[in-house]
Amino acid sequence: MKEYRFRLILILGAVVLSLYLLYPTYVNYNNQKAISKVVAEKEKEIKASNPQISADKLDSKLKSIEDSLKNADPSINKMKLKSLKLGLDLQGGMRVVLEVNTGKLLEKLAKNPDDVFKTVMKESEKEATVSEESMVNIVAKKFAARGIRLSRYFGNIRQTDSEIISELQKDADDAVTRAMEIIRNRVDQYGVSEPTIQRQGSRRIIVELPGIAREEEAKQLLQGTALLEFKLVKDPELTISIMKKIDDVLAGTYVDSTKSDSSLAKGTTAKTKQSKVASTDTSNKQLSAEEFAAKHPFFAIAMLDPKGKSADAYVKGDDRDKLQLMLNRPEVQQVIPNNIQFVFSAKPIANQNGQPIYMLYCVNKNPELTGGVITNAVATISPETNAPIVNMEMNSDGAADWARITGANIGKRIAIILDGVVYSAPVVQNKITGGRSQISGSGDLQEAQLLAIVLKAGALPAPVDIIEERTVGPSLGQDSINNGFNSTLIGFLVVSFFMIVYYQRAGMIAAGSLLFTILFILGFLAGFNATLTLPGIAGIILTIGMAVDANVLIYERIREEMETGKTLKASVDSGFSKAYSAIIDSNITTFITAVILYQFGSGPVQGFALTLMIGLGASLFSALVIAKVTFDYMVAKGIKVTIG
Amino acid sequence: MRIFENIHIDWLGKRKIFYVISISLFLIGWVNVLVRGLHFGIDFKGGTEIVLQFQKPVDVSTVRSYVEKIGLGFVELKTFGGETGVLIRTESQNIPKSIFPKVVDHIDNAIDKIYPGIPKTKVDTSASTITYAFSNADTTNELISRLLAAGYQAGKVSEELTNKQMVVRVGIADWIKENLRTNMPDNSFQIIKEDHVGPKVGNELKTNALIAIALSLIGILIYLAFRFKFIFAVGAVVALFHDVLITIGLYAALYGVIPGLNLEIDLTVVAAFLTLIGYSVNDTVIVFDRVRENLKIHKTMPLEELINQSVNRTMSRTILTAGTVLLAVLVLLIFGGEVLRAFSFTLFFGTIIGTYSSIFVASALVLEYANRFQKKVNF
Repeated sequence: MKEYRFRLILILGAVVLSLYLLYPTYVNYNNQKAISKVVAEKEKEIKASNPQISADKLDSKLKSIEDSLKNADPSINKMKLKSLKLGLDLQGGMRVVLEVNTGKLLEKLAKNPDDVFKTVMKESEKEATVSEESMVNIVAKKFAARGIRLSRYFGNIRQTDSEIISELQKDADDAVTRAMEIIRNRVDQYGVSEPTIQRQGSRRIIVELPGIAREEEAKQLLQGTALLEFKLVKDPELTISIMKKIDDVLAGTYVDSTKSDSSLAKGTTAKTKQSKVASTDTSNKQLSAEEFAAKHPFFAIAMLDPKGKSADAYVKGDDRDKLQLMLNRPEVQQVIPNNIQFVFSAKPIANQNGQPIYMLYCVNKNPELTGGVITNAVATISPETNAPIVNMEMNSDGAADWARITGANIGKRIAIILDGVVYSAPVVQNKITGGRSQISGSGDLQEAQLLAIVLKAGALPAPVDIIEERTVGPSLGQDSINNGFNSTLIGFLVVSFFMIVYYQRAGMIAAGSLLFTILFILGFLAGFNATLTLPGIAGIILTIGMAVDANVLIYERIREEMETGKTLKASVDSGFSKAYSAIIDSNITTFITAVILYQFGSGPVQGFALTLMIGLGASLFSALVIAKVTFDYMVAKGIKVTIG
Repeated sequence: MRIFENIHIDWLGKRKIFYVISISLFLIGWVNVLVRGLHFGIDFKGGTEIVLQFQKPVDVSTVRSYVEKIGLGFVELKTFGGETGVLIRTESQNIPKSIFPKVVDHIDNAIDKIYPGIPKTKVDTSASTITYAFSNADTTNELISRLLAAGYQAGKVSEELTNKQMVVRVGIADWIKENLRTNMPDNSFQIIKEDHVGPKVGNELKTNALIAIALSLIGILIYLAFRFKFIFAVGAVVALFHDVLITIGLYAALYGVIPGLNLEIDLTVVAAFLTLIGYSVNDTVIVFDRVRENLKIHKTMPLEELINQSVNRTMSRTILTAGTVLLAVLVLLIFGGEVLRAFSFTLFFGTIIGTYSSIFVASALVLEYANRFQKKVNF
């Protein structure tokens, strides 16, 4: 056994690793099956009790049931994240490639555009549809041909054309970043599970939305404009009193009186020094977590910082949807004053035990100002404090309002809200006249840059065009999965059958190692967080056909060696070693094309290239290690190895 | 079981016959390419493609008559999958200018249905959008949500609270769907697939595909030149050209000949071609590997005899390795479904031609070279 030990450990390791990597996929499959079973039952129930229910309402009801099931146990989500991902072509969904419309952007940026400008833009747009060159360059060339300096429309008079061109390129680049942030923000709020938003090249954004049901809405998400608002954050006293009311309503202990307000504020300032994120109520020290949650359903998930000066609540990522549902209840809405709303922070502000923590702010419903007045926002490092800051400029209309607003609210906080979520809530230090403000308090330069993007998003839209769109309905996806699964199974059976008929016992070894090859491919795909697409499945089937090639080469060689009169053991050894070079050479050529395909392909085709690459590696391992060990073992034990 | 064992055939002596076969295959294909042209899918041409799944079986000609009435120019229709699936494809990017007024009327009507007689002004119309302005923000918002619910792509022009403008987008696919919905009210449909590819993207994909194919050939040439002699690498790559060109020719020749087989060149077909390039060289490598080995053993044997012997000795494994792949690809061709059909077809015929060329073309070229220049090929 000693001589096999190393190789056996290697094989065992690979098998265990693959199984380990595939385990979440198996659990996830069972979870999803259980969930859809419950949802289907509920659907029947709802339909039976309310036959007239509209399709929309039924959908949203079922969706919320499904969501609550999914969120009930955090391990469900964890397993889902770790499981083998299916591409859009298999699970259905939408893939959209967006390109920033530089032409429209330039029109927005241009000062005093005249007729000449408009004609040039029209001509350039026409040329841009066929040319590979960037829009900025095309426009610049057109103006140069007419002997017009770019400074007539862009930048300032002292700048040279090349300076302006590089500035405009940067603006176009910024627009992509802005569009990405807006889209990410929207998609997050819309609640698409596992969206991907990627930048491709300098001007393109690829958005993948799995399982999206309503195409129209999705497109709206992607192409709409963004709303930036400045809203006043309410005082802690008021906020806490509202929160307390909500808590009472939810707990069912609400009595409509305004007397208790003063005692509540005390409750929050009292200290419970357990952790930074702790519950507010001192009287509940002895209560267990469950009891506390029953008594104070709101504060159990919207936790206040007992030491903090503000009444911003901390909310765990998992509880966000739950809290939003609570806030939307009609009886809760009744105790929230009409002119006040609760809004979440856009990004988690911290992480606790791997859980993202969001902030919940209480703000005025009516904005003090909207983002249209902002002319520029730049993130830099402050020369005085060495801390990251954002310099924000406003036009004269905005500046006048801003002076009034800041003057009246010194010491209060103003939340910067893009499309309904808070990006920052700085404190007003003093009255700002002239429209130039400085926002400090960003954690790092990156955060400050994000804030600058957000501030500009309200002012300067990033016009995007859909240049490629692919939607796959869920039914076609399911068909493809079935076809793929059946083909893989049949392919495996047919090829194995052939090998066994042709090579007998050696063929069985080949069929066995083929099984391992498939296991390794799936395990690796899951482990690498790769996505399985329909062409990817085709790649697996193709691999089944190619994987046995190595076995064929080896077996044919062994037969040849045996013809020369060698013993079985000697033939096996020299058969393997002499077949190496042909096997390696032929696999490497296929690998070269797979790499190139991966580089140049997109989406599903990349999935194919990936499975092909993994398949080649896995089949080499199976043929050269697993099959060899099996042979060695059988020969050593004197088990008869027939090779046809 | 054994096949092709101990064969002693003088393949290279008959190489002229194989040249004739190859050249005829090539000519048949490429005459078709030149006369009938190659048919590219929307990945490369750009355009819009929708696949609808009707509830009841549907006659393509009925759908065609409705779609043709719209006046979009050339529109292609075919069945997709079973009797209830219809694929509709057009190369146009946007609704033609001539029929756009109809679209505008249609949307005007839809607005009037929600708010009869509401005063509205059209601010702007482009190739695929109409922008309206209304008297106040609340009406605008209400209208947008109602239109959205009715399946129109309506949206605000700006998110400012005072926004009074609404933009409605109508793509070519939306317009076809809308027309079919009104014309075929008793047979509703689901969209199972919708693709839209802009003209620029199509061109880029084409360029990328060509670059990828060229790079693969160069990559293989370099690798084989490094592993074998340069002339062997050239022989192998010429054989690859041979495979790809003949398979492309076959595409043109068989287009529309086999019913139910949609031979259009799209991204997955290009992927199949690249795989073919990578795979079909395998058999060539097996033969060359044997030639290399034999050259070391039989230093004095004439090259022609040596190659013949190598081809004969490796014949069984060449056929077997190609055979197993063909089996797998055949399964894919039959059971893989509509989406993968062209892909599997390419691999199936490509592998057959690739195996043929590995045996009969690649080694013959090496021999031709050695004869022509009286070079001694060694390692």
